Amino acid sequence: MAYVATRGGERAIEQSQRLFKAELGDITPERVAEIRSAMPYLIDRVMGEASLYDEDLAALALAQTGGELYEAVLLLRAWRTTQPRIAVAEPVTQDALFTHRRISAAFKDIPGGQVLGPTLDYAHRILATEVLDGQTHRPEPVEPAAKPAPANQPSVAAWQAENGLLRAAVPDTQTGNDIPDVTREPLLFPAKRAHTLQSLARAETGGVLALGYAAQRGYGQAHPTVNELRLAEAEVVVTHPRGTQFSAGRVKVSQAEVVSKKGEQLELGFSATLGWNEVKVIAAATLDLNSKSAPKGSATEEEFFLYHTEGVESSGFCIHFKLPHYVTFQSSLYAMRDAKAKKAAKEKSAEPAE
Amino acid sequence: MTLHALTKPWEPMSYGFLDASAKREIRRKMIKAIAVPGCQMPYASHEVPMARGWGTGGLQVSLTLVNPSMRVKVIDQGADDSVNAASIRRFIARVAGTPTTMDTLDADLIQSRHRIPEEVLREDQVLVLQVPNPEPLRPVQPNMSIARQMHADADYGRMWLQLYEQIVRSGRVMQGASYPSLVHGRHVMTPSPIPRWDVPKLHMAKHLTILSAGREKRIFAVPPFTRVEPLVFSDVPYKVEDHADLTCHRSGTRGFFMNEIPQDDGTSVFEVSDSAWGVKAIRRRDGEEVALGETWYKNGKMPS
Amino acid sequence: MTLTLDAPRIVTTHPLLQVHHVSKSYGSVNALRDVSAIAYPGEVLGIVGESGSGKSTLLRMMNLEETPDTGSYTLDLPDVEGNLFDLDRFARRMLCATRIGIVYQNPHLGLLMKHSSSGNVAERLLVAGERSFATLRAKATAALEASEFPLDRLDAPPIELSGGMQQRVQLAKAIALEPALLLLDEPTTGLDVSVQALVLDTLKRLQQERRITMVIVSHDLGVIKTLADRVMVMKGGEVVEAGLADQIFQDPQHAYTQQLVHAKL
Repeated sequence: MAYVATRGGERAIEQSQRLFKAELGDITPERVAEIRSAMPYLIDRVMGEASLYDEDLAALALAQTGGELYEAVLLLRAWRTTQPRIAVAEPVTQDALFTHRRISAAFKDIPGGQVLGPTLDYAHRILATEVLDGQTHRPEPVEPAAKPAPANQPSVAAWQAENGLLRAAVPDTQTGNDIPDVTREPLLFPAKRAHTLQSLARAETGGVLALGYAAQRGYGQAHPTVNELRLAEAEVVVTHPRGTQFSAGRVKVSQAEVVSKKGEQLELGFSATLGWNEVKVIAAATLDLNSKSAPKGSATEEEFFLYHTEGVESSGFCIHFKLPHYVTFQSSLYAMRDAKAKKAAKEKSAEPAE
Repeated sequence: MTLHALTKPWEPMSYGFLDASAKREIRRKMIKAIAVPGCQMPYASHEVPMARGWGTGGLQVSLTLVNPSMRVKVIDQGADDSVNAASIRRFIARVAGTPTTMDTLDADLIQSRHRIPEEVLREDQVLVLQVPNPEPLRPVQPNMSIARQMHADADYGRMWLQLYEQIVRSGRVMQGASYPSLVHGRHVMTPSPIPRWDVPKLHMAKHLTILSAGREKRIFAVPPFTRVEPLVFSDVPYKVEDHADLTCHRSGTRGFFMNEIPQDDGTSVFEVSDSAWGVKAIRRRDGEEVALGETWYKNGKMPS
Repeated sequence: MTLTLDAPRIVTTHPLLQVHHVSKSYGSVNALRDVSAIAYPGEVLGIVGESGSGKSTLLRMMNLEETPDTGSYTLDLPDVEGNLFDLDRFARRMLCATRIGIVYQNPHLGLLMKHSSSGNVAERLLVAGERSFATLRAKATAALEASEFPLDRLDAPPIELSGGMQQRVQLAKAIALEPALLLLDEPTTGLDVSVQALVLDTLKRLQQERRITMVIVSHDLGVIKTLADRVMVMKGGEVVEAGLADQIFQDPQHAYTQQLVHAKL
């Protein structure tokens, strides 16, 4: 009862917020700028889950919440709600991506070539403790390759489709405002393809990983091979009211194709998201791959994983259990006591109570 | 005509926070929900500056319905001063400029979590109930797409079976709050986790009730003068919580839904759950002129 | 001189159940090809065949769980008209709930394993609109009793029961509403031989007492011989031979039937 003391509510919540903010201290433009430049992968993750690409706002959200990721994502999603949709960008095709990193586990070499790009994959994970002793950890300069890799590359799946190894995805003919948008309409099942891909793109990284990992470990039907993983930048091409098409800027994107053998064909799972987040797209593509043959109610069924990887909903519901529930509790308490009394009476008289 | 005449100055957010297209969608879904009482209507359910599960569904409906002259009351578990009720009330007042009240009689719109006030609501009042889980079939069918099909077929055998099983196992129906109820003889809905005490208040009520689940993205409604019948066997009567003879230790009011407060000596005292009603009863006892409305329950009984 | 005869078992001139020219294919596989079947009121139709012969598919169609590509299905009952394959979802569901009972080989298909046994039977009555707890209880108990289910296990969940008992719960559920048609899909397959005999006894007794029209599907000619008045032999989605039970068992015409009958004897 302490926290619903009569008339105390308003003051209590005000002071509890002050306490939280006091710990964080001043939020300055410098702090936001430092977060943005020092933690690009964290910024990417937050932007992806918020489905709002703005590095400054993402850095601000992280500063304001002290790095409480669920809160930061909610802050950005709530901001997004207030924003009008001014234009719908042109579709981004895979071969138009400005590619930084592109690897395939399916083939030793692929048309366009493997591009290792920036990664910690082969780094030894050793803390640079000298920094704590006052030294600066300065990265070694990058030595450019003699021949730069081409910036634009076809997709591996396109090559496989040409060679009859898999059925190419049918291009979606919907354009502009007709494209189903999961932020403007509810997710229903069986889900529209656009809704599935959008939901995975917005999904909470940890949740997608947990369910994707379960599928990879054997709770799914299909074992994935990474056909292609790509980190790239995409041009956001919009049409001016006068008809001119122009690039409004570039956004970082990740995408993964995973495949598995099904009969004489390969089956394809796909995922893409805003920002660079490799774990998320590989896990999400695994779920996409497995969903086609998933039994109802299993963790690899679309309805199951799309509902349960929605981070804003799941984290909100989880913390709502902190709210008082004494009315519901009182109601079950009454039923419990009454049932107990009935049972006792029945045992006493050995005659049915009713 | 000048450009200035056609445009509005920039504002950081729309009136009532939600943008016009979001409100339009919610209005349309509310109309559909009223047209098919008790039927869950999916809606987009935008993120609002509160966590999911904290009343975001109710909030979106309230934000869509309010205008600056509407008086808003917000309660959580019956109390106006519960922390989350205070937070929601402050937010609505801040983004929509609405006056607020704690008195049920003065309110035009009441957003509530898990209670219906003890004073009878009028034709001109709207009750918005926050709903954590809109699907009464969830305990018997967790899959949403199958559950939707079951509603379409009015396939409610499993709901009844659940009650049968409870009586067989425990000697009584164990369902406490969220008691599944048949609306307008067609759709089974959850009345949200209001106690059984409150469910009869919805039956043939004069006011409109809108139930909204933000996280689960569903709106449903009980229009005025609509039948709301708890699922019960014809020979096992519906029983509300046994609170008719309890007295509030603070206000002395009697015959309403109470909160039980355990005491150090192992006993319990009771406090009326509708805090505004309790406050009014205290003020009247202390000699103030306070208007007390007609209550649904009279002497602890709901007139049938 | 007065000659007294027992009333013949088959008296009506009009069949209760008629399935005509039913075909169904899944992709390139023909599950059923131009299959017809009839059963007169109070009669037991036995369908025998190996797995993959299409007999279970046919039974699922009689329970309106599946729709054929072509063909018709009628039941001669008051208020039931036309080709039942053309009924909408709701009408199908109500017809199955109130007029047709089914017992599956796999009790998981027919029962809620963790609910009480009496509740499993009661569900059937609930779907049909019964709303009195006392009546539900009484009718569920009566149906379980008629199925020779031990009443001290009334509220035990099927998951805690033996295979034979599970089949008795399914049977009680199927007959609770006194259906016009009882469908049995390999009801005793997988049970111990002694248990199998007991369940068959119950079925036979019920059939004689209540004159329920039954369709029983089995790969076991012995089971068919125990119960059926009329027999259909299926192979590869087609009916190879059909006729009265005596006729089929005494004088099988088709080579496949001869093989079955002789293997059995």
